Amino acid sequence: MSTDQQDDSDTQIDVAEGIDHQVAMVMDLNKCIGCQTCTIACKTLWTEDGGSEYMYWNNVETKPGAGYPRGWEDSGGGWQSGEHSERQPGEIPDQEDYGRAWEFNHSEIMYEGSDEPLRPREGAEWGPNWDEDEGAGEYPNSYYFYLPRICNHCTHPSCVEACPRSALYKREEDGIVLVDQERCRGYRYCVEGCPYKKVYYNTVSKKSEKCIFCYPRIEGEGPDGQTYAPACAEECPPQLRLVGFLDDEQGPIYKLVEEYEVALPLHPEFQTQPNVYYIPPFAPPQHTEDGETVDVDRIPRQYLEQLFGEGIDQALDTIERHRQRIERGGESELMEILQDKNPAKQYRLEVFDDG
Amino acid sequence: MGEGRPSRVTVSVVCIAALVVLTSVATPFASARPAHEIPFSEVQGSGLASPTADGWDGVPSSDVALGSAPSSVPNADDTTVETVHVQAARSDERLFVRLQWHDATRDVGADSMRRFNDAVAVQFPVNTSARPPIAMGGQRNMVNVWYWSSDTGTQELLAGGPGSTTAFPDPAVSANATYHGSGANATWTVVYVRDLEAAGENRTTLETEGDLDVAFAVWNGSNAERAGQKSVSEWHYFPSESRSAGPPFEALLWSVAGVAVVAVVAVTAFGVARARGGMQ
Ligand code: SF4
Ligand code: SF4
Repeated sequence: MSTDQQDDSDTQIDVAEGIDHQVAMVMDLNKCIGCQTCTIACKTLWTEDGGSEYMYWNNVETKPGAGYPRGWEDSGGGWQSGEHSERQPGEIPDQEDYGRAWEFNHSEIMYEGSDEPLRPREGAEWGPNWDEDEGAGEYPNSYYFYLPRICNHCTHPSCVEACPRSALYKREEDGIVLVDQERCRGYRYCVEGCPYKKVYYNTVSKKSEKCIFCYPRIEGEGPDGQTYAPACAEECPPQLRLVGFLDDEQGPIYKLVEEYEVALPLHPEFQTQPNVYYIPPFAPPQHTEDGETVDVDRIPRQYLEQLFGEGIDQALDTIERHRQRIERGGESELMEILQDKNPAKQYRLEVFDDG
Repeated sequence: MGEGRPSRVTVSVVCIAALVVLTSVATPFASARPAHEIPFSEVQGSGLASPTADGWDGVPSSDVALGSAPSSVPNADDTTVETVHVQAARSDERLFVRLQWHDATRDVGADSMRRFNDAVAVQFPVNTSARPPIAMGGQRNMVNVWYWSSDTGTQELLAGGPGSTTAFPDPAVSANATYHGSGANATWTVVYVRDLEAAGENRTTLETEGDLDVAFAVWNGSNAERAGQKSVSEWHYFPSESRSAGPPFEALLWSVAGVAVVAVVAVTAFGVARARGGMQ
């Protein structure tokens, strides 16, 4: 089916109807070290309360892998086509597919003098990032990479459409997708409807909850009234996330997504038009048993295409071209953006403040 | 045609007999009251608040047919409960509504992502002078809903169209429930109790001059029923006064009348047949 917004090189930003600006994030997968700092930053900030123990609004999974919740890529949801007229049916994952919050033998070790190793008491059969670093491929050509995921604050959020009570909505000012806790009656159609499984059901509060793009931080509601990017971005040691507005034509996000087309949405075929984009991972080419380099992709192109859609070839080629340009002593704005360490450029959140 | 006559008489007699049986059997069910009327009793005191109170034995009952609600949610037409057994009684101060339905699975406490609760609801117009759209009322014609779910208990809701349901902060209605039996006979019994005089905006006035419209909904949690995926009735009504109290008595009268009519017809027919026979 056609995704006619994409194949035009004339850049045209598709911000959802009625939305003034769209917040967006670009994550450079080549920099992710899988340290889970982002996961914990998010967890401690938002999901430590009763009923949300199992929730990871931000999670980092190893690809190839079953992900979190297990098998989410095959759980349905999203739209049947780019016309967004008919939704794709989806499923509510089982608790076991998310994993349960494990209990550890802390008390035995710390207070009762046990010299057992620290480990979960029981029921540790699956959990977020269970298949960490397993990846795929055979020695010496095995491969994997880390995929951090948050809610994509999609341009056509099927979670919003799925809710018969309009409890989910897309904020006018920045396109952030939120669950109105007053309106939610725990029906879980949003959980079924999101193909990324980024809405969660809290069995204690009986309501759905999801990533809020740290909106109080970007609104400057902190103690010093300053604006901050989402915690997952600010806390990331290698600083691989760029945060700003998709429609900020001077910003790095616009350039990476719209101009150079090297930042790609995850599973574009779900047709929700995510606003989290990824610089696809590079890996050295394959080796023979005796260490000789052969001209074969280590991470199969097909696999990357499955994840990031048809734009993958062009994106990888463009980045390669710019790399070579730098190697030859040339200049590249694209490479500069990808290597920028200036937070003021990485996080452009105040450009549309009208004061 | 000498053989024809006896056979004609036989047919007549059989017909008449069938008619008598039909009249006496069918009348109590079919004609005791207008369709969609849910009779209620006038009772003393408040002994009916318990679902198992003996007092309920003497209260007239109706089997209300349910069908899948028209709704845009996925699987809206996949519902399981087809009938709800309704009884209503009114004391000087309160209205009691008892609902019973079969549900082989008791779904209580949705403590996992995929579990849903059993639930039941009674819907009234906020403004009793007009009948609102059946599906959760309309914007200008709202409904007041008494909702009970096995997990969260009782809520009083206001709705002005599908998806607009809002809970009252202070419900005026309370409910008690029991689940008994097993297998196909397992039954939920829920009794709602509300003071006739319960003030508050957007709350149905139960002490109304005319008939009081009422509708019902049931959700089976184990079939993932929730929101618009539910079994619902059409609008029914509680009559303005308990004019049809004691349908057994009324039905008996109807039966007697029916039998009398049939007897007259029978005698007449027999007489006519005999007269004809005599003439030939
Ligand atoms: S990722 Fe899922 S939850 Fe987030 S906006 Fe898109 S459809 Fe909704
Ligand atoms: S904090 Fe950064 S590097 Fe660490 S897992 Fe998260 S995204 Fe990857």
